[in-house]
Amino acid sequence: MSEPILEIKNLSATVADKEIIKNLNLTINPGEVHALMGPNGAGKSTLSYILTGKPGYEVTGGEVMFCGKNLLAMKPDERACAGLFLSMQYPVAIPGVATNNFLKHALNAKRKYEGLPELDAAEFLKILRTEAKNLNIGADMLKREINVGFSGGEKKRMEILQMSLLKPSLAILDEADSGLDIDALKLVADGVNKLHNENNALLIITHHLDLLNHIQPDIVHIYADGHIVKSGDKSLAIELEKSGYKTFVDAE
Amino acid sequence: MSLAEQNITLWGDDIPWLAGLREKGLIAFNKSGLPTAKTEAWKYSFKAVGQTENLQIDASAHECDGHCHHQCDLPFEAYQIHFCDGKLHGEHFDLPQGVSLKPLVEAIYDGDVKPYLNKSFDTENFPFAALNTAYLEQGFMLIIERGIVVDKPIFIRYHTEHNTDTFNNIRNIIVVESRAKAEIIEFFDGDSTGNFNNVVNEIFLAADSSLRHYKLQSESALTRHISFNSVQQKSNSSYKCFVAQKECILARHESYIKLLQEGAFAEVNGIYKLNENGVSDITTNIRHLAPHTTSNQLVKGVVDGHAKGVFQGQIHIAPEAQQTEGYQLHRALLLSDSGEVDCKPELEIFADDVKCSHGATCGDLDKEQLFYMQSRGINSEDARRILIEAYLQEVLNKIDNIEVAEWIKAQF
Ligand SMILES: Nc1ncnc2c1ncn2[C@@H]1O[C@H](COP(=O)(O)OP(=O)(O)O)[C@@H](O)[C@H]1O
Ligand SMILES: [Mg+2]
Repeated sequence: MSEPILEIKNLSATVADKEIIKNLNLTINPGEVHALMGPNGAGKSTLSYILTGKPGYEVTGGEVMFCGKNLLAMKPDERACAGLFLSMQYPVAIPGVATNNFLKHALNAKRKYEGLPELDAAEFLKILRTEAKNLNIGADMLKREINVGFSGGEKKRMEILQMSLLKPSLAILDEADSGLDIDALKLVADGVNKLHNENNALLIITHHLDLLNHIQPDIVHIYADGHIVKSGDKSLAIELEKSGYKTFVDAE
Repeated sequence: MSLAEQNITLWGDDIPWLAGLREKGLIAFNKSGLPTAKTEAWKYSFKAVGQTENLQIDASAHECDGHCHHQCDLPFEAYQIHFCDGKLHGEHFDLPQGVSLKPLVEAIYDGDVKPYLNKSFDTENFPFAALNTAYLEQGFMLIIERGIVVDKPIFIRYHTEHNTDTFNNIRNIIVVESRAKAEIIEFFDGDSTGNFNNVVNEIFLAADSSLRHYKLQSESALTRHISFNSVQQKSNSSYKCFVAQKECILARHESYIKLLQEGAFAEVNGIYKLNENGVSDITTNIRHLAPHTTSNQLVKGVVDGHAKGVFQGQIHIAPEAQQTEGYQLHRALLLSDSGEVDCKPELEIFADDVKCSHGATCGDLDKEQLFYMQSRGINSEDARRILIEAYLQEVLNKIDNIEVAEWIKAQF
């Protein structure tokens, strides 16, 4: 079997001196789709920030290997260039930075890391247009300041556009389905499915079966109180939809 | 040798009114002296004026060795005027019909300058402008005649490269007659160190005229630069100034604007970026003296290292200036613990039917934005640069001439 993409061993972490992640273990292999489901405030977003290296989120124990490298020793931008991507629950608006410029900086940063020449404006626009079209993102939106005044759905599509451009080995989607109507959900799911292959992996954080009907998970984890309390196949998500988190959290 | 006692002979000391005017300037300067902590208009930046004992005005004739002939390579077309080491280069200028520019001494000789020279401000209140009057000689008089719309910007380059410890005293008179429109760009650059530029522009806008005044201060970090811009505006005239200041011992841009008649509009916007020990001072005094006058100010700065950014903005609204609007905003990014940002807004409102506001913010770069960019692979150095650029872009967007805005951005 090939090397795991992500290997989390006994991870513990704090935010603002509060222990949020407690002794978490999770292994994700190439080609797999994992779903992470859990009540609000359980620490799902915290986990995504720990993995991407957000300042203020502190690891207190354990280790994380990403494609054979010590993830926790890398800077946030190195993690991204090495193939880790997070579609954020709350994407950040940056006034004054045009979306297409932002995307060009991001893609060229990754190319530079990989030792490829930077793309010039024309080459970049060609790639951008194709990917944007798939997500129904028009030229107008690309000229706007990134995430400034974007609707919830526009922000989520913009996250997926970034993912499509950066082609990560592991994409974490943190509530990528929140605030999406049925059509937008399908666009987002199609975008994700298109990217997914046997060499990369997905970690999907969601509360809803809808998204998992579009993107089929191999493994579903129930996450509560800072670690995984139960793992299973998709039927676990269906059960959860019926009975809620309560049974699982209490059972612990 | 002190600034008050320069042992030099200036052109035209035998012209009684000119000698009298210079004398008046010197008396005013001697009375006020150099600014101190007690000089209200200088309280944050007086220290940066520093030593002036070694400064010397170079009153010798300008002997050009040809080095200053070369035109600036610009990405837009412009009429170019050059100062070399504080001296106007040439006597005849390639300018279109209806636009005239002469050396100040020639305008004094011809008498053209008399209705304007030293008529827009009181030397008693401005020590460096008083000094500028005491040593009047270098500079030009520019007239845009009635109804003339100048097709390209007039680009004035002040280049220093030879002298050190020189006090470059420059006085320009700019007259925009009724319905005329022009753009001027002042570009200060050069490698000279220890120079002190003391520029006074007296600008007169007649009814329905328009002037766009862009200034980029980009000299060696070891120069001191003071520019006093006294503007008088008649009815429905429009003056928009944009100033960009970079790292240097002292860069002070002062605007003193009188909106004399109804419908006059003035805008002073600016950006500054300091990395080490520099001081940037943008000081404005906009005086609304007639009804229906409007002013806007937006200044944004970036301060790192041990540098200091100063903004002092005074808006005065006279009792008769009803239905007047005056807005002012200063925002700064303070990127280090040892940097300093000082902001002093002063509103003096004597009319009741006015809309006026001022605001100031000072903070670090947004951490969420920085992380968002890094999470996309952009390293922290690039992310900071992009965010700073975006921060300043808001002000650059207010420049009417996009080509000029792009050029300033590229130099900054
Ligand atoms: N920056 C922060 N400062 C303080 N508390 C935080 C911060 N981020 C998250 N938390 C707390 O950590 C807990 C987990 O939050 P989060 O990871 O967002 O949960 P989830 O994504 O599972 O809903 C919550 O109690 C939340 O209030
Ligand atoms: Mg969350």
